[in-house]
Amino acid sequence: MAAQGTLPPECAELIEELAGLFRDSEGIFGCDDMFDYMARRVHAVQRATNPVLRRFWDAAGGSEPGAWHEIPPVPVAAFRDVPIASGPAEVVFRTSGTTGGAARRGEHHVASVDLYRTAARPNYRRHLFGEDGAAARTPSAAASTVALVSLIPHPAAAPDSSLSAMAGFIAREPEVAHATWAFHPRRGVDAAAFERAARAASHPVLLLTTAFALVQLLDALGDAALPLPRGSRLMETGGFKGRVAAVNRAALYRRVGDVLAVPESHIINEYGMTEMLSQAYDGAAGHAGPAPSRVHRFPPWVRTRALDPLDLAPLPHGDVGLLAHFDLANAASVCHLLTEDLGAVTEDGGVRLAGRAPGSDLRGCSLTAESFLRATRGRGPG
Amino acid sequence: MTEVPPATDDSSASGRPVIDGWVWPPAAPPPTSLLQIRAGGVDIRHPKPDLDLAGRLVASLRASARTLAAIPSRELIACLGQAGESFVGSIGDKGSRRIAQNAGLSRAMTAEVVNGMAATWSTEALEGLVYAEFPDPRVLDGFVPDNERLVAATAPGITLHLGAGSVPGVTVTSIIRALLVKSPVLAKPGAGDVALTVAFAQHLGRVDPLLGAAVAVQYWPGGTAPWARWEQELFAAADQVVVYGSDTTVESVRTRTPASTRLIEHGHRVGVAVVDPTGDPRAASDAARAVALFDQEGCVSTHLFLVLGDRAAAREWSGELADALSKIEFALPPGHAPAGELSAIHQMRGFLEMDAASGRDTELWYRKGLRWTVIMGSLDGFSPAGGRTAWVIPAADVAACLQALSPLSPVLQTVGIAGIGEERQALAEGLARIRATRVVPLREVPFPGAEWLHDGQRPLRELVRWTELH
Repeated sequence: MAAQGTLPPECAELIEELAGLFRDSEGIFGCDDMFDYMARRVHAVQRATNPVLRRFWDAAGGSEPGAWHEIPPVPVAAFRDVPIASGPAEVVFRTSGTTGGAARRGEHHVASVDLYRTAARPNYRRHLFGEDGAAARTPSAAASTVALVSLIPHPAAAPDSSLSAMAGFIAREPEVAHATWAFHPRRGVDAAAFERAARAASHPVLLLTTAFALVQLLDALGDAALPLPRGSRLMETGGFKGRVAAVNRAALYRRVGDVLAVPESHIINEYGMTEMLSQAYDGAAGHAGPAPSRVHRFPPWVRTRALDPLDLAPLPHGDVGLLAHFDLANAASVCHLLTEDLGAVTEDGGVRLAGRAPGSDLRGCSLTAESFLRATRGRGPG
Repeated sequence: MTEVPPATDDSSASGRPVIDGWVWPPAAPPPTSLLQIRAGGVDIRHPKPDLDLAGRLVASLRASARTLAAIPSRELIACLGQAGESFVGSIGDKGSRRIAQNAGLSRAMTAEVVNGMAATWSTEALEGLVYAEFPDPRVLDGFVPDNERLVAATAPGITLHLGAGSVPGVTVTSIIRALLVKSPVLAKPGAGDVALTVAFAQHLGRVDPLLGAAVAVQYWPGGTAPWARWEQELFAAADQVVVYGSDTTVESVRTRTPASTRLIEHGHRVGVAVVDPTGDPRAASDAARAVALFDQEGCVSTHLFLVLGDRAAAREWSGELADALSKIEFALPPGHAPAGELSAIHQMRGFLEMDAASGRDTELWYRKGLRWTVIMGSLDGFSPAGGRTAWVIPAADVAACLQALSPLSPVLQTVGIAGIGEERQALAEGLARIRATRVVPLREVPFPGAEWLHDGQRPLRELVRWTELH
C-alpha cells in the first residue's frame, strides 16, 4: 500500500515543474544540454531527498557527475530489495514475477500518479491515436473516436500493475467512446466479451493487450475471422516472461491480420517496465513498418545507452548491449536504470530491441539458487 | 535441432565447430542418420532416437560383458590406468580447444580441470580406489574367503550413466568406475562434457579394443516424446542407472526406472568452507581456487565461507579473498559468458549494493570488468549465485558455524576447512551430523581423490552385487 505523508518540498516542486514541461514544452528535452541540465537538477534533488539512493551512489564512487550518464545506473533487481523513493508513494507498482531465483517481486514506489499519466500520455497518444504529424492526415490512422477493448486487467482489478494503470489512462482519453475490459486476473482472457465488443463496435477498435493474452485470444477465436472495423489498431506489449519460451512476432502479427483484419501497420509494440514511468513505441498506428525493421521511440525526456555486458562501458551506436535508460519522469524514485534487456541505440536515439539477455545453455552440477531455496527453506537436519 | 547427413567436416553452417557426440562399440551397427544441436560453443552431432538401433547397441554391450568378466582385476586396473595416463597426452591442441568450447571454459581452465580429473585415472589412483573399496580385489574375479564364507562382488550387467552439466571429466570417471567392476557402460555425457568423453572412449578403444568394446557413448538432448521412448528402452535394458542432475532430472529418472533396476543418484550440491584466518595464511588463495575452479559450476565448488572471528576479521579476510580472486581470474580466466550471465552479475551486485545502502550489514568487493564478487552479509541473504561469487559470513566459533550450516543440510556436500586446529575433529563430527559428506583441507576442495565417498556413497561398492557361498 502507499505510504502516508508528503513529499519533500524540493521534490514536489520538481515533479510539478517536470509535469508542466512534459505537458507543454516536451520539445526542450530534445536539446542535449537541456536534458543534461534537468538530469543533474533531478540528481541533486534525489541526493538530498533519497538517502538510500545517495548511499548507493556514494558507494559507487560518489563524485559529482559531470554529465547525466556519469550518474551510476541502478540495476532493476535493486527494486526487489528496498523502497527507493524520495518520499511517500501514492501507489506501489509491482513487477509481474520473480526471476533469477529471487524470492521477492520488484516494487516501484511512485510518488505521483499524475506525473506517471503526464509522462505516458504524449507518447501513447502519438503512437496509438495518431495525434500529430503524418498520422493525423491519414484517415485510417487518425482516430477521432475508438472503442477500447483491453486484454490488460482493469486498474481496479490489478491495482499494483503499472500496465493496468496505463490502460486506465488510455481508457479516459476523449476519443474513447466505450471501454470493454476483457481480461480477468485469475480467469484470463474473456474471449466472449471481446467477441461481443468487436461485433458491436461502430468505431475503430483500439485493442490493448499483452502478447501472451493476444495469443490466448487468437487461440480462443480459432480460425473464424472476426474482422474489426477499418482503422482499428492494436497495442501489444511484453507479457511472455516465464510463460512462453519465445514468440515469433511476425507470425503473431500475420494471425492478427488473418483473424481480426488489423494490418501490421496498425499493430504497435509498446516497451515499458514497472520500474519506469515512460514508455517506448515502435511505430505510429497506421504507419508502422514491417516489425523486424522497427525502432522503439521514447519521449524526449528519456535517454538510452547500450552498455558492454562485461564492464558496462558505453557502446557505439548500432552495437548491441545491455540497455540503460535515464527517465526524468522517475524523478521521485530512480532515473537511471540498468535493465536486463539487450538492444542497440540508433544515431537518432531510437532503440532497436534484441530481447532479454540470454543465459547459458550449459549448467554445471553446482546447485542453482532456485533449487537451493527450494531445498533449504525452512529445513534443517531435524 | 536439425537433421544432418553423416559427414566428417567439423564446422556447421552456424560457424560453430561440430563435434561427434557418440562412440559406439565396433560390434554395434553404425547410426544411419544424425541430428545436430548446439551445446556451449559447439554443435553436437548425434544419432537419431532409433529404438531398433538402441536394442542392437545394448546387445553389443551385453555381449562384451563376458569378455570383461574374464579380465583379472589387476589387469583391468593396469589397462584402464594405462589408458588414463596416456589420455591427456593424446588429446592434442584441436581436441583441447574443442573440449574448452564444449564446456564453456577458458583454455587455461580446461587444462587445469582435465589435468586435475585425470590425476584420478592413473594406475596408482585406480589401484588406490579398488583397494580402498575391496581390500582383496580378487573378490571382483570370483569367490574369496570372508570369515566363515566365500564372497564374490559382481557387476549386475550394463550400467547406464546419465550425465548432466558442463564439468568435463565427470562422465569419464563414471565410465572408469563401471569398467573397474566389469560392467559394460552406456554413457550419456552432460551437454558440456561430450567432447572429453568421446575423446576418452575413442582413446580407450585404441589402447585396449576389448575395453573399448564395452563402452558406448552417446549424447542426446531429451525432452521430447521420441527421446522419452528411447530413454524408456534404455531404462528397461540397463541393469543399473547412475544419474547426475538437478532435482527435476533425478526425480524424472526415478519415476521411470524399473523397481528392479538399481538407481544411483548424484543430485546437485553446494560446497562451503570453514576458515580461521589466524591459523592459515594461505587460506585466501586456497579459497579463491576453490571458488574459481570449474567457474564455480562443480558440485564441489565453494560458495559460502564461514570465517571464525568478528566482523572486522571477516572483512579483512574478504579483502584478501578479493585480491586472490583477482589474481586467479588472470591465471585461470573465466569462460565465455552469454550476455544474460553477465547481466545477472550486474543485477546481483546492484541488488546487494542497494541492500548495503539501505543500512543492512552487507559489504561488497568486486572489480569492474572482472567476474568475481565477494559478499559479506548475513546468512539469510545467501544463495549460490555462481559466476565466482563468494559469500563470507563471520562466525564466533565452531558451534556457530554448525548452527549456521544446519539449514543447508539437504544439499551440503564438500566442506573445506582451513586454519582449524584443535577443534578439527569436533567440527568434522558436527558436519557429519548435518550430512556433509566430504570434509577436506580447503586446498584439496576442487579435486577429490579417486576413492572419495561421492555424495556419501562408496564409488565402486555401490555398483556391485555381493554373492555369498557357504
